Amino acid sequence: MSGEPILQVSELCKSFGNLAALNRVSFHIAPGEILGLIGPNGAGKTTLFNTISGLYHPDGGQVAFKGQSIGGLSPHAICKLGMSRTFQVTQAFEHLSVAEAIRIGAYNRHGERGVEAKVRETVAFFGLEKIQDWKCSDLGLAPLKRVEVARAAATDPELLLLDEAGAGLNASELAELMEMLKTLRRKRDMTLCVVEHVMPMVMGLCERIIVLDYGELIAEGTPEMISKNEKVIEAYLGRRSKR
Amino acid sequence: MRRNSRGSWLLAIALAAVAAALPLAFLRNQYNLILLTTVALYGVLTSAWNIIGGMAGQLDLSAGAYLGLGAYTTATLLLRWNITPWVGMFAGGVVAMGFAFLVGFPLFRFRIREVWYALSSSALVVVLQVVFLLWKQVGGPMERLLPSASFSLYNLRFQSYLPYYYIMLVLLLATLFIAYRIRTRRLGYYLLALGDNEDAAEVLGVDARGSKLKALVIYAFLVGITGGLYACIYGFVHTSFFSPTISMEVAILGIVGGLGIIYGPLLATVILVTGRELLRAGLGGRLQSLYLVIYAVVLILIALLRPRGLASLLGAWRKERR
Ligand SMILES: Nc1ncnc2c1ncn2[C@@H]1O[C@H](COP(=O)(O)OP(=O)(O)OP(=O)(O)O)[C@@H](O)[C@H]1O
Ligand SMILES: [Mg+2]
Repeated sequence: MSGEPILQVSELCKSFGNLAALNRVSFHIAPGEILGLIGPNGAGKTTLFNTISGLYHPDGGQVAFKGQSIGGLSPHAICKLGMSRTFQVTQAFEHLSVAEAIRIGAYNRHGERGVEAKVRETVAFFGLEKIQDWKCSDLGLAPLKRVEVARAAATDPELLLLDEAGAGLNASELAELMEMLKTLRRKRDMTLCVVEHVMPMVMGLCERIIVLDYGELIAEGTPEMISKNEKVIEAYLGRRSKR
Repeated sequence: MRRNSRGSWLLAIALAAVAAALPLAFLRNQYNLILLTTVALYGVLTSAWNIIGGMAGQLDLSAGAYLGLGAYTTATLLLRWNITPWVGMFAGGVVAMGFAFLVGFPLFRFRIREVWYALSSSALVVVLQVVFLLWKQVGGPMERLLPSASFSLYNLRFQSYLPYYYIMLVLLLATLFIAYRIRTRRLGYYLLALGDNEDAAEVLGVDARGSKLKALVIYAFLVGITGGLYACIYGFVHTSFFSPTISMEVAILGIVGGLGIIYGPLLATVILVTGRELLRAGLGGRLQSLYLVIYAVVLILIALLRPRGLASLLGAWRKERR
C-alpha cells in the first residue's frame, strides 16, 4: 500500500497512575487496508483505541487522521471527520430499538430526509431486519455486537476501529461478520483496524498485523511473519506459562 | 405505523378540544377553574422537564429557578417600564434561557451527571432565592404587587381564572408540540442515546455537551415563560417563587409519568395534581397535611408497581388490544 497514511500515530503515551498503558507507540494505517492489532490481555489495545478515538486524552505524542492532528479533539468531532469505533464491552443504548440505535449513527452524515433510507440500508446490510424493532436491552451478546458494528458503520466512517467484535461469536456468526467487514471495505472504501483474540479471524482478515505488549509495539508484519516472530510467541507463551 | 400515528394525532386533537371545552362545564365555579389552571400549569412544567429529564436523562431539579426568573423579569418590566407581560413573558423566557446556558455550560463541560447534577441544579434554586431576597431594587423580602384590575388585557390581569386557563392551555399545547418535535427528530434521538450511554453516543458523532445544552435551554425558556404567566395569575412576585418544592414536584411527576414519553408527564400531572388538589380540598379543613401523606403513598405505589411510569400502563393496554 502506498500513499499518505489515513492514520499516523507517533510516540503516543498514556499512563494510569504509574502504569504506562501506552509507551511511545508509533504506527500507521494505510488507506483501504485491514490492520490487525493483537497482544496479550492488558497489553493496552483498548487503551490505544480509547486514546485515538478521543475518549482519553493522550499524555504525549501525536495522532493525525487524514493528515490532520486530532489529539485533544472530542470523540464526536473525530467521528465527524470520519472515524468511528465499537467497544469491547458492549455499550448498548438500552432504551432504544435496534433501528433507533443505528439511526443515531446515521444522523452523523444525514439530515431528517436521508436518515430513514440510511437506517433501512444499514439494517439490511447487517441482516438485522427481524430484530430491528427489538429493544437493545433484550438482545443477546452476538446480535448486540453486530448492532454495535452496524451503528458505527452507519456513521459512514473512512476508518472503523473494531475492538474484539468477534469475541463470543460462534463459527458461523464469525464467518458472517468477516464477510460483512470485507464487503464494507470493498464496497464502502472503509479502512479497518481490528483488535482480536480470535486468531482465525485475524489471520483470515488482515494483510498486516501489529503487536502490542505491555504498552509497547513489539512487532509488525504480515500474518505469516507475525505467527513466526519470536518476540510475539514469547509475549503470548511466556505469559501463558506463568499462569 | 402510518395509520397509528394518524390516530394519535386525532386523539391529541380530540383531547385538546375536550380540555378547551372543560371550563364550559364549570364556568360559574372559580374553584374548578383554579384547579384546571393549576393542572395546565404543572402540565407545562412537567412536559418541558421531560426534554431535559426524560429524554436527556439529567435529573434536573431547577424548575423553580427558571420559574422565578421568568416571574421577576415579567414583573420588573411591567412595574418599572410598563412593558406588557405579553412581551415580559417572553423576555422572562429569554432571561431563563441565558441563565440556563451560563449554568449548563460548565456543568456539561465537566460531565456532571446523576446525583451530582441533581444537587447542583437544586442548589441553583436556593441561591437565586437568596440573591433576589438581597437584591432590593428588584426583589427583597416583601411581595411586589402587580397592578390589579378586573380585566386588563395589557397588564394580563383578570379577576376570573378563565382567561388564564386558556392562555395556559395554549402554552401547554405549544410545549407538547415542541417536545414532540424534539422527540421525533435528531435532537430527541441524540438525547435519548446520551441518557443511555454517553461514550457510545459520542463516538457515533453525538455532541454530548451541545445537545444537552440545547435541551436545558429549551426547557428553561418554556419554564421562564410559564413563570411570567404565574406572576400575573398570582398578582405578585415573591422570592418563594424560587421554590425547591415545585422543582422537586416537577421532577417527580415527570418520572412517575414515564421518562421520555411525550404524554407521560401530562398524564401523571392530570391524575396526581387533580387528586392532590381534591384531597386537599376534601381533607384540608380537618387534617391539614393528610393529603400530602396520601399523595406520597400513591407516588410510592406507582414507583413500586410501575417502575417505567404511568405511561407504560397505556402502552401495555395498547399492546393487549392489538
Ligand atoms: N481506566 C483505566 N484506569 C486504570 N487502569 C487502566 C484503565 N484502563 C486500562 N487500564 C490498565 O491499562 C492496561 C491496558 O489495558 P487495556 O484494557 O488497554 O488492555 P487490552 O490490551 O485491551 O486488554 P484485553 O485484551 O484484556 O482487552 C491494563 O493493565 C489495564 O489494567
Ligand atoms: Mg481490550
